[in-house]
Amino acid sequence: MWSCLTTGVGSLKNAIKMDKRTLIVGIGNNGRGDDGLGWKFADEAAAWEGVDVEYRYQLQVEDAAMIKDYRTVIFVDAIANSLPDGFAFNDCEPKPTPSFTTHRLSPGTVLWLCRELYGVMPKAYTMAIEGVQFELGGSLSEPAGENLVRAVANLEERFSPSWSFKMKDYENTN
Amino acid sequence: MMSDTKSIKKKITIDPVTRVEGHGRVTIHLDEYGKVEDSFFHIVEFRGFERFIQGHPYWEAPVLVQRLCGICPVSHHLAAAKAIDQLVGIDPRDLTRSAHKLRKLLHYGQVFQSHALHFFYLASPDLLFGMDAPVEKRNVIALAIENRELARKGILMRKFGQEIIRAIAGKKIHGVAAVPGGMHKTFEPAEREYFLDGKELPNIETMIQWALEVIALMKDYSEKHRSLLDSFAAFPSGHLGMVGEQGNLELYDGKLRAIDADGKITLPDVSTNDYQRYFQEGVERWSYMKFPYLKELGREQGWNRVGPLARLNVCTTIPTPLAEQERRAYVDFTGKRVNNSTLYSHWARLIELLHCAEVMNELLHDPDILGTDLVREGKPRLEGIGIIEAPRGTLTHHYQVDEKGKITRCNLIVSTTHNNEAMNRAVRWVANNVISQKGTITEGMLNQVEVAIRAYDPCLSCATQALGQMPLHVELFDHRGRLLEERYKNG
Repeated sequence: MWSCLTTGVGSLKNAIKMDKRTLIVGIGNNGRGDDGLGWKFADEAAAWEGVDVEYRYQLQVEDAAMIKDYRTVIFVDAIANSLPDGFAFNDCEPKPTPSFTTHRLSPGTVLWLCRELYGVMPKAYTMAIEGVQFELGGSLSEPAGENLVRAVANLEERFSPSWSFKMKDYENTN
Repeated sequence: MMSDTKSIKKKITIDPVTRVEGHGRVTIHLDEYGKVEDSFFHIVEFRGFERFIQGHPYWEAPVLVQRLCGICPVSHHLAAAKAIDQLVGIDPRDLTRSAHKLRKLLHYGQVFQSHALHFFYLASPDLLFGMDAPVEKRNVIALAIENRELARKGILMRKFGQEIIRAIAGKKIHGVAAVPGGMHKTFEPAEREYFLDGKELPNIETMIQWALEVIALMKDYSEKHRSLLDSFAAFPSGHLGMVGEQGNLELYDGKLRAIDADGKITLPDVSTNDYQRYFQEGVERWSYMKFPYLKELGREQGWNRVGPLARLNVCTTIPTPLAEQERRAYVDFTGKRVNNSTLYSHWARLIELLHCAEVMNELLHDPDILGTDLVREGKPRLEGIGIIEAPRGTLTHHYQVDEKGKITRCNLIVSTTHNNEAMNRAVRWVANNVISQKGTITEGMLNQVEVAIRAYDPCLSCATQALGQMPLHVELFDHRGRLLEERYKNG
């Protein structure tokens, strides 16, 4: 689960081309209530054409190697903060953030590591979905379930039938 | 950011964490002269998993426990699987050869990738850049900038272990590997070739070679910093670990052995099924984490360190040639049969890394891992105990079920709880030797608190059964209980 939210969506021009696949990384833990939002999102996205899906408890150093072969990567995770639409789709910028244990990296740090270690970097975004309860248990809360539906619909709308076209539309309206 | 101990109350927050799960908290209390009076390493999170799992059917346990911890889900999966085997009447010796070896390959792959992560991304920045280096330097980021080759090797070693897990469990996260009485699937010849031919991934022989290289780095470091390694957070303690029939290092199934700080046996190779006869779990009002200890020695004397340092202390040999050679060099270097110095944990961990690579190499060449005889059935029982050596140390899963197979009681003793007392002692050592009576608290001093804790590679979310993040929160109080300084480190 993310505890803070990057803000702002920059230019999406040339962000998506279908010559390389898009990767959606669901982050979280479906054994802890709404922390399963990232994985549930990935479950939905697994059916989308041209999309690979991965599941993570937390991002780690080797994920820098995983994303290097993709043109576009979208990190999806639950967030405890309140969001106006129940979700937020943002640019993800490379940003090295030191941490105490390094058992868990931020999307920006993984992106930064990818660029530093492999000299390439996908265009990356974060999709944060608001959750409200994170206690032990496998089910999403009702509000989280509704937020998930909205978030999936939003990204699916941009994805199909032409991802790049829809992304351009999105850019014009934001 | 820094404050003088005589200054008025000052609160500094380094990195606000909006939602903290299972976080560690260090509090250091000074007396009126600025001398450390006391220090604690607390865990401030409610433990809920043992209750949560009650009422679930036993066969769900190996899958559910993977949600316990995102850092070592495979260790929990296998410890639970060993316990659940007993509920279906199967002891470790009853497993088929293929099932036993596949589980062992899975386990050693897990320990390998965990140890690789710890060395390359947790330990090496401290070692390469120094404990007094600013936080910006002591992490994976600086490593990536200043030693790309080492950082890339670390990633590939980590990936190798994770690919082993993926191959056996079907996927890296929440795969189904072990089932009651055996394994869900066997290894395919093509999967085996993937790890041997080196076409898509550096092969297992390369892993052995790289493990030897990082041990050489560690030896070189140790030669240059012997006095630091010998003295930093060194204190006498008991050591606990699993051993094989010959007293050899064993990570998957064996007997429990403990020794005291001088090497005297305090737990003489007992069956894991008897752990309750020998262990008690203490509680403290200031921490949710338990304090296990040997009943016979009592709470004050009976606590033990677990993990690589302890395992190398309790075993008399390592059953793979290169790791055994390195173990001997390590013992010769320290000149001690029992090593009580915290920072030697890093070297010990690398010897285990090499051992894991050698064991994986043996298993990948063993035709039994391609076998299809995978599951055994026995006479159901109402109680099951599974103990393994997880990357961070001895891990216990204990379940009782009713006649319908519903779990009625669950007890987990995770590695980090065994090391709870040791981490507290290590923090106290730093507080007394580095912080006490210095007048000014520098960031470098507080960094050393982290270094002491990090040597044990604690998994705080695991220890508290509070899944997720594990930031560190350090607080310094004066003799009137006023907060002088407060720092957060995100997980």
